[in-house]
Amino acid sequence: MAFNLTRRKFLQSASLAAVALPLSEVIASESGIQRSPLETPGSFQDKTVVGGICEMCFWRCQLTGKTRNDRLVKIEGNPKSIDNGTAICARGNAGIQLLYDPDRLKYPLKNVGERGNPKWKRISWDEALKECGTKLKEVEEKYGPQGISVFPHGSTAKYPMHFFERAVGTHNVSEASFFQCRGIRDTAYVATTGMPPGEFVDMPNSKAILLIGSHLGENVHVSHIKRYIKGLQNGAKLIVVDPRYSASAAKSDIWVKIKPGTDTAFLLAIMNYLITEKKYDQDFVEEYGYGFDELAAGIKEWSFEKAAKECDVPAAQIKEVADLLAESAPGVSIHPGRHVSWYGNDFQRQRSLACLTGLLGAYFVKGGWVPGKNPKVGGVSWAKKEHEGEHNLNVDEDDEYLHPFSPPGTPTELIRDAALTGKPYPIKGCVIWGQNPIQTIPGQEKMKDVLRQMDFVMCVDVMPTDATMWADILLPEVSYLERYDYIKTGTQWNFADKQQQYISARMPLVKPMFERKDQVYITNEIARLMGYEKDIPVQTVEEMVEKNLEVAGLTLEQLRKEDGIHIREGKNPYQMPEDFEVMFYNEDIEDAGFPGIPTYVTVEQPPKGFLRLLYGRVPVHTFNRSQNNIWLNKAMPDNPVWLNDALAAKMGLKDGDVVGFVNQDGFKSRTTTTVKTTPGIRTDGVYMAHGYGSSNPLMSVGVDAGVDDTSLMTKITVDPETGAHGMRNNFVKITKDGKVIEIPASA
Amino acid sequence: MQYGMIIDLERCVGCHACTIACKAEWEVPVDFGRNWVYRMGPSLVGTEMASTYYPGLCNHCEDPVCVPECPADAEEMTFTDAKTGKTATVEVAATWKDPFDGTVQIDKARCLGCGACADVCPYNARYINPDLVDDVSDEGKADKCTYCKPRVDAGLEPACVQTCITDARIFGDLSDPDSAVSRYVKNGAVGIEPNGGELGPNSRYYGKKKDMALLMETQTPELANLSHVRRRAMLASLVKPAMKKAKNIGLLGVVGAVIAKGVMDSNKEE
Repeated sequence: MAFNLTRRKFLQSASLAAVALPLSEVIASESGIQRSPLETPGSFQDKTVVGGICEMCFWRCQLTGKTRNDRLVKIEGNPKSIDNGTAICARGNAGIQLLYDPDRLKYPLKNVGERGNPKWKRISWDEALKECGTKLKEVEEKYGPQGISVFPHGSTAKYPMHFFERAVGTHNVSEASFFQCRGIRDTAYVATTGMPPGEFVDMPNSKAILLIGSHLGENVHVSHIKRYIKGLQNGAKLIVVDPRYSASAAKSDIWVKIKPGTDTAFLLAIMNYLITEKKYDQDFVEEYGYGFDELAAGIKEWSFEKAAKECDVPAAQIKEVADLLAESAPGVSIHPGRHVSWYGNDFQRQRSLACLTGLLGAYFVKGGWVPGKNPKVGGVSWAKKEHEGEHNLNVDEDDEYLHPFSPPGTPTELIRDAALTGKPYPIKGCVIWGQNPIQTIPGQEKMKDVLRQMDFVMCVDVMPTDATMWADILLPEVSYLERYDYIKTGTQWNFADKQQQYISARMPLVKPMFERKDQVYITNEIARLMGYEKDIPVQTVEEMVEKNLEVAGLTLEQLRKEDGIHIREGKNPYQMPEDFEVMFYNEDIEDAGFPGIPTYVTVEQPPKGFLRLLYGRVPVHTFNRSQNNIWLNKAMPDNPVWLNDALAAKMGLKDGDVVGFVNQDGFKSRTTTTVKTTPGIRTDGVYMAHGYGSSNPLMSVGVDAGVDDTSLMTKITVDPETGAHGMRNNFVKITKDGKVIEIPASA
Repeated sequence: MQYGMIIDLERCVGCHACTIACKAEWEVPVDFGRNWVYRMGPSLVGTEMASTYYPGLCNHCEDPVCVPECPADAEEMTFTDAKTGKTATVEVAATWKDPFDGTVQIDKARCLGCGACADVCPYNARYINPDLVDDVSDEGKADKCTYCKPRVDAGLEPACVQTCITDARIFGDLSDPDSAVSRYVKNGAVGIEPNGGELGPNSRYYGKKKDMALLMETQTPELANLSHVRRRAMLASLVKPAMKKAKNIGLLGVVGAVIAKGVMDSNKEE
């Protein structure tokens, strides 16, 4: 299979990808003379197919498809949905350009070149699976199950992840959603309230919303944004704490232009004020609090003045925020955030947020933190077999946890260090399923070295990515529009409305094309080859979904009859669970050698002449996953770097200048981007959107577009309690035409 | 009746769902858009920091500057009110303002593809769609937002309104004082008038004072230079119908058309 085709040539040759072509040219190329209709008909006249669930991101909105001649022409929100309704975001709308992307993986491929610099040869599924099964079995037999590492992401990755974790028995699973994203949040809240917090804030009914770094609007998940905007429309005051004037800051009542890394100091000063001025919810704390006195005593030093100095914001502004929160309590949404792997001091910040919510009495109250009561469905997967507790890299020789508050799996750095040193044991097999560890995990060169030393690497994905370049065997997966798998449950998005619950299952909107297969087929075949046939829990992905629906008394047929979504009566979301408790002080944390009350840990500041590299999201991309989508690429083709305008002027840089970067370790960005000057960012950092600058030439649209922020993160920080990464501790200088543009001494 | 659209900037989060839904609904070529979202700022408006969006689309103006520039021969057309079934026969060129719903539409079959309407529109709301070709124009036809007239006539919302994740886009009849769009106008929603123009744009914006100031400051367009536009239109009106006639009577025939397509494709390669 030749891969040196240009996008255009491919389009011309692949009639199956014809939806990417204007109709006129298809007809013209077939007949030579016939002209197109001059008016496109509009999708609204086409056939509706129900049952879709989006996976352009993990929020998973409920969809319907419009099909014309068995081809999907448009994706819409399912009108029956009480979550996203008829609305879907830009990425959801652009799903058909993923579905029919000519660059998509089509056949099993074998790398006959080298890892990182592949030459692909098309092979049969039989050969591909045999190679995967045999090679992974060899690793298992030679090094034990712990010699296999897994980097999963997305709803298809759960089944294979469970196979390797539960049946084969390796601990060495690194989920990006935990170790590079939200794991710290989840374990910090579990250590405080016993529950992972999701983004479960009742914003539509809240009087004040506090966002620490969350940039809703640039970060888009449909029903979450609905909640946020409804809250603002209902008069909630919005406080946004961010070094940058983000999309959310632009809608805020108070923008706290905080110095990066100091958020915990800010939160401690607010808590100290609430406590000393007795502005906290004394009834709530008495009833549900534990360790309040330890907290009160431990944060006494945190005056507004002290925090103001640390955070580089006015003391009066911190007081203004504290008073607003106190006045609005308990109906305040202290947002737990989502991607929180920032500075390596993040567990303590997340603990602070959970404690602040408690001081304000804002759990299970209107406008506060309210998780909602979802219906139950099954979770059929591989049974957990007895595996010995050893070989867990997170446990040392004395049986002590290195990162006691690690999310499930094993902290990424422990896996990578073991792989590179062979100590305490070698890691020689790697399964990458839907994740892109090259552009997700800081220390890109380290990741490459880890992959280089493997005996075998397999990747499963829908698209070529920077990670698939490192596979020995690359398997094409069906997309979310062509498969069964995920069951989405939830409630109506606004708790002020009638209480309802929904259950919906992903059903294919169109048939798979080429030789793409689903996760159950691929995993089961590998399992058979590895000798785990008798452990296989389901034969098909459809069977898995049916079994999981059965728990709720539903079938796929029934769901289809109900237009893809089953809706039933809901429950009062504000009902407090009986044993609910807020641990302001947690002695388990202290016993493990960390501060038992929320504590501020300082982070390294940029060396002179450097700017902190901050990153975030744009609404049209889900990191690197959507970079090759031609509609989304055209909407935001690169990731301009935000630079303070006064600083830019002193550096002689202006809007649109093409620049690159060099970081504190001398690492240079491979590609360039443009400058966006603005007063809306501090002078000690720069900001860019994450996920750009892909290097895989098989992504004919997304390759080399913008700068890969992850590539500049060569300094690796680990949050000690959790083992998750801190990703905002790298510092850059700006380069133009290959030369460093120094920051003048006067700036 | 006059259809109009309100963009509520207090609700808009700049997510681009509207632009992508439109592309899918109407198969808009990748490099063009019937609507768009620009982000402005963060910058200072007076002493206040501000950042907002310009989700733009055709304004279906009260007094559209594009309509009178169309050089195509005027023909009688019968319009039907989708609601009442009433009809009216009016002489129009290849683009017009609908006498019943006030939308501005294009007859692609009669469009010469000269681009005069696109050039004169101060909002850049029109483009020449290179995929729409026939014997009149090998270079494409004028195209733009129709306020999703075919959908609306079928009782649906415009695609951009249906997909808007925050209900920031509101569509309706501006001549009905009780409509949601009219209430927004009463509350201060305004269109973007070009400098020195009085076009009466019917896509209107509502938002915080500083955001509206930023929108107007950065997005108020200039009127086009009419003499340039007209010179091009005149040339097109002379040349294009002649081409059509030539092809119709088979001077070029099948072979010629294939060659013409080859030329078109090779042009696109560049």
